[in-house]
Amino acid sequence: MGILLLIVPLVAVLLLLTVKQSQFRHAISVGTSSLLLILALSLNREVLLHGSVQYASCGGFFYVDALSMIVLDIVLIIGFMAAIFSLGYLEEEIKHGKLKRERLGLYYSLMYTFIFTMVLALTVKNMGLMWIAIEATSLSSAFLVGFYNDKHALEAAWKYVILCSVGIAIALLGIILLHLSSAGVLNSSSFLDWTALYTKASSLKSSVLRLAFIFILIGFGTKAGLAPMHNWLPDAHSQAPSPISALLSGVLLNTALYGIIRAAVIVDRNQGSSSFTGRLLIGIGILSIATAAVFILTQKDYKRLLAYSSIEHMGIIVVAMGLYSPLAVFGGLMHMINHSLTKSMLFFSSGNILQKYDTKQISKLKGVLKIMPVTGTVFLLGLFAIAGTPPFSVFASEFSIVVAVFNGPYKWVGVIFVLLLAAVFAGIAVTLLKIFYGEPDDKNLQVGEVNLPGTVCLVILLVGITVSGLYLPGDLKELITKAQGIILGT
Amino acid sequence: MSNLAVNSNLLETLSVLILLSSFVLMASKRINSYIKTFRIQSFLIALAAGIMGLRSLISEGRWDFLVVCLLIMIFKVLYIPNMLSKTYKNVSYKVEKDFILNIPILVLLCCGLVVFSYFTLTGVDGLSQDVLNLQLVNAVSVIWIGLLFMISRKKAIGQIIGFLVIENGLYITAMYSTQEMPFIVDLGIFIDLLTFVLIMGVMTFRINEKFESIDTDQLNNLKG
Repeated sequence: MGILLLIVPLVAVLLLLTVKQSQFRHAISVGTSSLLLILALSLNREVLLHGSVQYASCGGFFYVDALSMIVLDIVLIIGFMAAIFSLGYLEEEIKHGKLKRERLGLYYSLMYTFIFTMVLALTVKNMGLMWIAIEATSLSSAFLVGFYNDKHALEAAWKYVILCSVGIAIALLGIILLHLSSAGVLNSSSFLDWTALYTKASSLKSSVLRLAFIFILIGFGTKAGLAPMHNWLPDAHSQAPSPISALLSGVLLNTALYGIIRAAVIVDRNQGSSSFTGRLLIGIGILSIATAAVFILTQKDYKRLLAYSSIEHMGIIVVAMGLYSPLAVFGGLMHMINHSLTKSMLFFSSGNILQKYDTKQISKLKGVLKIMPVTGTVFLLGLFAIAGTPPFSVFASEFSIVVAVFNGPYKWVGVIFVLLLAAVFAGIAVTLLKIFYGEPDDKNLQVGEVNLPGTVCLVILLVGITVSGLYLPGDLKELITKAQGIILGT
Repeated sequence: MSNLAVNSNLLETLSVLILLSSFVLMASKRINSYIKTFRIQSFLIALAAGIMGLRSLISEGRWDFLVVCLLIMIFKVLYIPNMLSKTYKNVSYKVEKDFILNIPILVLLCCGLVVFSYFTLTGVDGLSQDVLNLQLVNAVSVIWIGLLFMISRKKAIGQIIGFLVIENGLYITAMYSTQEMPFIVDLGIFIDLLTFVLIMGVMTFRINEKFESIDTDQLNNLKG
């Protein structure tokens, strides 16, 4: 059953390349993503019942547990939303002559290849295969980042592939060292097998393992957009088509973080404490938040601002994982979900705004609330949500992480953490709140929404993040608790 | 037994030659000679894989190293360098003129990198108990030299070659240190590498088209 998650997107890619009419292409895209969502639901059930799902029939490489299920859910939900949003977005781009109708097939097939590689990264047991899949995510999304094919998009795509590939190459060195640390412990059938590494963690060679973790952190950290390896991220997120920006920010970054978490779990078990990984993760996390705070305060391009905010939230999640207390890990996992939903909502609404105003400059936007009542409202509330205002879900998870920092061993980290969060809040308020009021410069701008299906997505996401801020469904809570158990090794 | 000793002597020599080839790469200026040096380096790696392959075929009856050797021959020695030469014929730049530092200093820095990896790797216990260690130092040095090469070259093709050298370095690190990576992982890495080269080839064309040069210094519009 779960193996269908890998087959369905591949079949979709083949279909999308053969079908020529754009209505069919749209239909295949929406159909595929709904099917994936249904499959994910049933897999969720299985994971909740059995703890983990693996099939002996396919060489034993397929493996899903609560930790991967959380990220997998995010991938498929955001993937579904992006498919719906793309319907209206692409038609609008074609109408304005920014996109040729023939390229629709290319767009969709690249998008489903991208989704396939992410699903693959999350469903394999072998760390080597996971590495391959994560490298494949950057390759499959390279042309999506450079999809508009102008100077800026090409520059962003070039930087994206070069930086991420080099980063990921460093992670491969880490994986090789991880393999080396298990020499003499594992036999050849379970080389790099995550479950085997996890159960035999205490007999791995500590010194090699520590070295491996540093390389893996740097490597996958590049992909997750952690400072100081974040330079590709604002470019790629701002130049990609908006639905792709949402996928990059909401999903891809989490997939890379997932790789770091898997490695950290093994090192923590081996060391018997989190002091080694914890210090590295907290350090790099605080640095990411600080870098993002500075750039948000001086930002002139709203899509870049959202991208920097992603760097900030990746930093927050990494700090939570570094703290390694039950509350922090729970908060961190919840934050992954909340950030993805909120950030993809923001990128979708920024896509609507971009199509209406045809500019990415913050200074040229005025009166968004008046021109686009629904998108404007969602964007405004979304900005408050992402900055961590109650009652939205980002507040709930951020709050539990803050509490966990102050309960943890490093109180002064908590002080810096809270100050930086405040700075980010101020940055977002100062730079972006002025776009909502006033009269637009262009008097010919018509009042009304673009992209109707996309706007429906926005409203659904807004309801989602508001409700989950107040009430966490029982199943979701159980899933997060299970994943927390895996990370803490209890 | 003596056969085995000859084998490991050969492997030792090859690892030094591979390191040497990356020094040669660092010292060259013409894009044409980058491609040639990369071809030679890959050939040396294929030889090393072949020797290991024969050894594991005789002792354990495993054939996967030989398949890998064949793949390296086909892709890294023949296909990728040929493709890069084709890309290079279509762009106007033949010689690199400006580096971040001049070549003698870059070569000296490479020596520094070898010393650096020697000291870092001997510091890690669990790695340094047997003779494999020096080969590991050579292999890891190739990775760092590849990185330095990428930083020092400003043309798109130079950066692609730099990445390929990093990948070569990773490959021999895996080969010399662990002797056996899971075969499926090796295959996957090949597929990724091939896609990388294809994508970068297409992008070099497009950059050359839009910017009328492949100087990556011109890719500086997105800031802040």
